[in-house]
Amino acid sequence: MWFVRLLSSSIGKKLIMATSGLLLVLFLMTHAAGNATIFMSSDVFQGYADELHSHPLIVLIFSISLLVLVLCHVAVGLYLFWENRQVSTSRYIITKRVVKNSFASETMPYTGLVVLLFLSVHIFGFTFSPKHVDISVTVKNLLSNFFYSLFYVIAFIALTIHLSHGFWSMLQTFGINHPRYNTLISRLTLGIPLFFLLIFGGVALYFMTGLGANY
Amino acid sequence: MELNARVPAGPLEKKWDNHRFSNKLVNPANRRKYSAIVVGTGLAGASAAATLSEQGYQVKSFCIQDSPRRAHSIAAQGGINAAKNYQNDGDSVFRLFYDTIKGGDFRSREANVYRLAQVSTEIIDQCVAQGVPFAREYGGTLANRSFGGAQVSRTFYARGQTGQQLLLGAYGALSRQIHAGGVEMFTRREMMDVVVVDGRARGITTRNIMTGEIESHVADVVILATGGYGNVYFLSTNAMASNVTAAWRAHKKGAGFANPSFVQIHPTCIPVHGDYQSKLTLMSESLRNDGRVWVPKKQGDKRLPADIPEDERDYYLENKYPSFGNLVPRDVASRNAKEQCDLGKGVGNTQLAVYLDFAEAINRDGEAAIFKKYGNLFQMYEKITDSNPMKEPMMIYPAVHYTMGGLWVDYDLMTNIPGLFAIGECNFSDHGANRLGASALMQGLADGYFVIATSIAHYLGTNKLEKVSEHEQDFIDSRRVVEDRIAKLLKNSAGGPAGKFTVDEIHKELGKLMWDNCGMARNKEDLEKALKELPAIKQKFWDYVYIPGDTKEINQSLERAGRLADFLEFAEIMIRDALTRGESCGCHLREESQTEDNEAKRDDENYSHVSVWEYAGQQEEPKLHIEPLSFENVTPSQRSYK
Amino acid sequence: MSSINLTLKIWRQQNSDALGQLETYTLDAIHTDMSFLEMLDVLNEKLTKEGQDPVAFDHDCREGICGMCGAIIDGVAHGPEKEVTLCQLHMRHFKDGDTIVIEPFRSRAYPVKRDLLIDRSALDRIIQSGGYVSVNTGGTVDGNSIPIPSQQSELAMDAAACIGCGACVASCPNGAAMLFTSAKVSQLALLPQGQVERKQRALAMVEQMDKEGFGNCTNAKECEAVCPKGISIRNIARLNKEYLFAAMTEG
Ligand SMILES: Cc1cc2nc3c(=O)[nH]c(=O)nc-3n(C[C@H](O)[C@H](O)[C@H](O)COP(=O)(O)OP(=O)(O)OC[C@H]3O[C@@H](n4cnc5c(N)ncnc54)[C@H](O)[C@@H]3O)c2cc1C
Ligand code: HEM
Ligand code: SF4
Ligand code: FES
Repeated sequence: MWFVRLLSSSIGKKLIMATSGLLLVLFLMTHAAGNATIFMSSDVFQGYADELHSHPLIVLIFSISLLVLVLCHVAVGLYLFWENRQVSTSRYIITKRVVKNSFASETMPYTGLVVLLFLSVHIFGFTFSPKHVDISVTVKNLLSNFFYSLFYVIAFIALTIHLSHGFWSMLQTFGINHPRYNTLISRLTLGIPLFFLLIFGGVALYFMTGLGANY
Repeated sequence: MELNARVPAGPLEKKWDNHRFSNKLVNPANRRKYSAIVVGTGLAGASAAATLSEQGYQVKSFCIQDSPRRAHSIAAQGGINAAKNYQNDGDSVFRLFYDTIKGGDFRSREANVYRLAQVSTEIIDQCVAQGVPFAREYGGTLANRSFGGAQVSRTFYARGQTGQQLLLGAYGALSRQIHAGGVEMFTRREMMDVVVVDGRARGITTRNIMTGEIESHVADVVILATGGYGNVYFLSTNAMASNVTAAWRAHKKGAGFANPSFVQIHPTCIPVHGDYQSKLTLMSESLRNDGRVWVPKKQGDKRLPADIPEDERDYYLENKYPSFGNLVPRDVASRNAKEQCDLGKGVGNTQLAVYLDFAEAINRDGEAAIFKKYGNLFQMYEKITDSNPMKEPMMIYPAVHYTMGGLWVDYDLMTNIPGLFAIGECNFSDHGANRLGASALMQGLADGYFVIATSIAHYLGTNKLEKVSEHEQDFIDSRRVVEDRIAKLLKNSAGGPAGKFTVDEIHKELGKLMWDNCGMARNKEDLEKALKELPAIKQKFWDYVYIPGDTKEINQSLERAGRLADFLEFAEIMIRDALTRGESCGCHLREESQTEDNEAKRDDENYSHVSVWEYAGQQEEPKLHIEPLSFENVTPSQRSYK
Repeated sequence: MSSINLTLKIWRQQNSDALGQLETYTLDAIHTDMSFLEMLDVLNEKLTKEGQDPVAFDHDCREGICGMCGAIIDGVAHGPEKEVTLCQLHMRHFKDGDTIVIEPFRSRAYPVKRDLLIDRSALDRIIQSGGYVSVNTGGTVDGNSIPIPSQQSELAMDAAACIGCGACVASCPNGAAMLFTSAKVSQLALLPQGQVERKQRALAMVEQMDKEGFGNCTNAKECEAVCPKGISIRNIARLNKEYLFAAMTEG
């Protein structure tokens, strides 16, 4: 079958990573937009959350697709990591990277795993939080815990690093690389992760630092 | 030795057509019953192997390197000629033919050269079809430049990497045939012998460089495309593995060796800078279009070039040859550089260099214009020498570059051993006593793509070949001879290296002998001296060469030793050839044969012929045969560049 | 001209089955105008004279075009200079007293045969699987009947400049051969002559590349950084696109 052949090839696996990565990035954008309402007031945020949950079907479909996406991304990512390790470990007595700023690309699986750990904590804390407590209250309760928030911030930094290679890499995988647009692409590769860091990290810091004490 | 060139009848323009028509063919269904061995995967070999396989023959292809794509043809920079007349500047098949014959100083066969010019146009079409990225004009048509002093723009090029791109095209065609199963590829094999059965070439003996295995390969025809022998001088622009071994072994089996002393020495190479030097690097000839060649007027002037005022500089080419100036042909430029250095006016540490100065051109056209033209060459020069030609003059010196001599072949490119063919630089056929720039690539591809298949069909169509196998006595004998020789090479190694010489030490000694006595300018006295000194070097080699390691493994010293052993034998006919050719012609300057103002003087009365050497045995003097040349379509003229 | 003294640590290995290790050698009075390979020649002459085995290494043109030479110098393929092959690396880029570690190019698809000499035939097999235009000799149209914009032809030439040295694979943290493969696929995808087999070629060459045991690209860019011919990873993007398109519409 053509898609089995596609997806089992080396480039095909990359395409799975890039596609799932792109969809995750798009999801993060909507999620960030929703979360930004936190900064307005607890009522607005609560309103957004209530509105969202008044369409259970949509939420269900979204959740399942996200789960599948994350599973694909994680499974293929780890598989590639494992495959590549077999080639790369202890190849040379001296190994030197020539490319500057290769930290992000070298640590993709690790930053990815931090994000994964975060996702489990996050989903456990919020999605499966007691239904009778308002979500805005849960947010405040959990995030006011200094260490809980610190963990959040660290995870968002990891995500930023992940995407500071991942975003460019995804476009490269889709074949988008043209001298005319490469400056734009490198700006986006920096800007989009920083935007996520600002919004998501901002929420955590907001509560962590006590600014949101009266929320 | 019978030398029948088998030039087809008819007027010059019709010979190739007539020949193709009168030649026998092999019907397509029968071709797969025939097999061909092609040794070498340069332009000539790769194109031949691919073409023969496309036509249905079973082909076995061999090369020394780890991949067919690495043959020495890859290094050619400048371009490839073709009589396309795309520039509408008066070019034609006849003009390319005439330029080539004249460039070769009327020492090549008219019919062969004419055919070369004829098929040149097809080569370009073929290469374009393969996806060779030739330079283009803005309108999308093919671009040309003028090259090597030609008065028309007929040279096609792909940046400074024409040889690479053409070879990758041929390598692609070869790869396609390997994939299709028509060609069996043997990389890292060195051909050590031709096997002749009942007077016909029927196979080769090779050494597997990775394992040391001595192998036999059987076929109906054997085609040698093994390149030139410039490395006899140790230092040359040739790749390190370029050798005479294949041609020499064929010679020892009876193939005539033609004009071995015809060696082209290229004027613009980066000078030697130390005795550790392993090879010389060519800088494209195009540099002479804008660079001015000069040396200080005073001998041994050690000042920096910038400190030497205008009136103390000798622009010797411009002074001596006012009409051609810095653009005199390669041999003239080379000889004059040597002359200046011999007079003690050479520059640089070794005093074996002359300046090639771009200051005036930069003044005239501006830095940007000059850099645009030559930037990549300047960078290459700077990488090697750490000096920037935009700031200070380049230093150049002549270096051995191309060998016009090679195995004697008839019009069909067959040697005088039936069934043994030679194509590309390893035959002698098209360039006479001197090769025009951008014509070697043309010849290699003409031979491989367009000539050899016709010859093979005719040979197979007219001869009935018995089946042979590698268990035949001739194959067994050949393997034994090769093995014995390797054993003999290694015999000194017992007892360690003390008091012995490495392969390179002896090679350098041979190189110096040849360069000093059989190099750019030759005379009887030196040549005779060289002939006398050669046996001692040979003796020293066989008695005292130290080769570490064994034969049944990768042994690069052993490989080099084998090649050197053949160069040592081969050098003798080179010197003898230079000695017996008492005239000056093309690249061959005999100091005895010069005009009053020290220009080369050709002697058509006595030397309008190809000198062909026959191997007569280990202790015997080689025999000289002659193929007379006749010129029916052009009148030999004396060259003059004054 | 000056000269320097060096300590070399070179990977020595008898054959593919043997275990290898680094051996240490010292070399004195190395001219800084020497090329790296000439420096190895000097070492080999010395070893030979001392009755030791010289170091086996591949090389041929020594002009940076045949693609035969190459080794890992202090962890970097073809050494510290940008856009040069090992044969064009000169000793003036090293300092007196330097210790230089020299290892063979490695990848799963490159067995070491002896010392620094490896088997790169996997790259040839990738080309054999489709890296050409399938035309027979003869019967082609006139060269000028296929007009190609000079810019397009230059782009194709940029990709065609690959010398097949395999440094990209050796330096890739994953041992991927994407830069090499993409250079050929790009060259032909950019030219009109390559259109007929465009899809088939991308599919076949990637399949062969995977079969040879090369790793997966993670866009680490190391290949581009060491490539002696400056082949750009833009070619890899092009290959990805070519492959995706071909896989979705062909076969
Ligand atoms: C630096 C340089 C620049 C040049 N530039 C130009 C130019 O701009 N234009 C031009 O027209 N010409 C140029 N030339 C000349 C031209 O490149 C060569 O003449 C031509 O490429 C020779 O091609 P070939 O196929 O005959 O042999 P080669 O390309 O030399 O190939 C020889 C083949 O034979 C194999 N071989 C040799 N011996 C053996 C053996 N014993 N056993 C097995 N295999 C063997 C080798 O492995 C190799 O595959 C240049 C030459 C040099 C050195
Ligand atoms: C919301 C979370 C995530 C986002 C937005 C995201 C996004 C991306 C993107 C865009 C890429 C680049 C794809 C490409 O190179 O084509 C990528 C690569 C990668 N991701 Fe994620 N990712 C996320 C979570 C994870 C997680 C949880 C893991 C767990 C292991 C992970 C592991 C990886 C790995 C290993 C790669 C590199 C794959 C390669 O280059 O071959 N990611 N990610
Ligand atoms: S892409 Fe560059 S590094 Fe890779 S094989 Fe080609 S020239 Fe060498
Ligand atoms: S020896 Fe040819 S590229 Fe280095």
